[in-house]
Amino acid sequence: MLKVSGLTVNYGATSALKNVDFYAYQGEIVGLAGPNGAGKTTLLETIAGFLKPREGEIHLLDRRIDGLSVLQRRMMGMVLVPQEGNVFPDMTVRENLDVGAILSHKDIRERLIDETYQLFPILHKRATQFAVTLSGGEQRMLALGIGLVSNASILLIDEPSTGLAPKMVTRLFETLDAIKESTGKTIVLSEQNIGVTEIADRVFGIEAGEIRFCENTENLDSEAVRDLYLGK
Amino acid sequence: MNLDAGITGIIMGGVLSLPVLGIAVIYGMTGITNFAVGTIGVFCTFMTWHFLSQGALLGILVGLAASFGIGYVIQWFLLTPISEKGGDSTLFFIVTMCLGMVFTGFTRVLFPRPDISLLLPRMGTVSIMGVTTSGLKIFAFFFALSALGLIRLSERHTSVGKSWRATSQNLKLAKIVGINTARVFALASATGCMLAFVGAVFWAALYNVNLMSGWNLTFLGFIIAVVGGIGNIWGGMLSALVMGMVMSYSGHILGGMWQSVVLYCIVILVLIIAPRGILGSERSL
Repeated sequence: MLKVSGLTVNYGATSALKNVDFYAYQGEIVGLAGPNGAGKTTLLETIAGFLKPREGEIHLLDRRIDGLSVLQRRMMGMVLVPQEGNVFPDMTVRENLDVGAILSHKDIRERLIDETYQLFPILHKRATQFAVTLSGGEQRMLALGIGLVSNASILLIDEPSTGLAPKMVTRLFETLDAIKESTGKTIVLSEQNIGVTEIADRVFGIEAGEIRFCENTENLDSEAVRDLYLGK
Repeated sequence: MNLDAGITGIIMGGVLSLPVLGIAVIYGMTGITNFAVGTIGVFCTFMTWHFLSQGALLGILVGLAASFGIGYVIQWFLLTPISEKGGDSTLFFIVTMCLGMVFTGFTRVLFPRPDISLLLPRMGTVSIMGVTTSGLKIFAFFFALSALGLIRLSERHTSVGKSWRATSQNLKLAKIVGINTARVFALASATGCMLAFVGAVFWAALYNVNLMSGWNLTFLGFIIAVVGGIGNIWGGMLSALVMGMVMSYSGHILGGMWQSVVLYCIVILVLIIAPRGILGSERSL
């Protein structure tokens, strides 16, 4: 479904990504694990169209998309849930979800928002509250909600667990697993939190802009994961 | 005399609030301080004047269409591409000043007249607390209030309005969810230029406009917008009304020569006390 090959991205003279290969099949959760500054956000933002690669290709549904705009990629069914700045602060929860579903017909929009309220009942409770007044955890749920109501077939979620309490992180991962099971969406999940290996079908380890390993979760070598975070 | 000056001030503020609204809409949405807004409004007012002999409605429609089209086109083809290439506020200042010069030049070349006054259909007179004023002035004031109310209502209750608010609050996320932000910017610019045009039309009908009126409207509009809190529509409206009163009363009490002295001293004073404007800016300059 999503295939990235030979991707190189530079910030000025510095290489943020070096010859990165990455792929995700339909209905999978693919983890992108790595320490802070490894290049996870850069990879997701390049796939979403916010950064231009210096080299390499990105294909979605067998169509080359690295020359397309963010809007065109969105139209093809891809949506990014950014790590920061992921809600509209001075709009209510309901308005945030309305805007998230702006490309859908009104009837479909209502259904998508209802489904999101079922997944995150707290959002229903806070529907008339401004996003800026929500707690950190609630804002993360709203950010995911915006991603879900967009009705995209592939969600690129950037470090959703950052700043959340361990209990919340466990709940968040369970919810993402439930989303995959119930919707069949493809989820690419970048995480510093090693807990991502518990819900991902496959994990890519990234460090210093390079892919260090790619393993199905059941074959994942715990030594390799430890080295990724702590160094050899 | 005092009540007369008060009513004149409120009406002047109401008319001035239209270009201020235009500036607030453009800046609030795009973050661009467009110094060409007033000259575009005046250029289109000259167009209206040109077509006025064939009917007031036709003249105004031509002006509305022209201001909307010019606003849309300059944003779409010029300002948004510059913004996407990382243009900063200095560059926008230079580019929009140049645009203002271009439209002043167009006005001079196409309509070689020093000044114009629009003769719009009479609307009679209205008496308020013993002070008689023209119906057009009252209409201008309520038009400005309605424009503000309409913008605020559409922001809250229409899909287009929500995408405007979303774009102004979080551009990146707006792009992510699929809002065509380039179109939103172009529509905001078109609306802003149209509001400046309507303000200039009222100004031309109540007083007169000349080649420099566009610059005067722009600078006065910007100063009023900054005092109200640039990008803040309610702040802009309130500031316009206060400034209108200041201009009117200072003119009555001290004479016309002192108007600008009093006005700009108050502006400096307000900005020292409240640097982000009376009601606070919705964006930082």
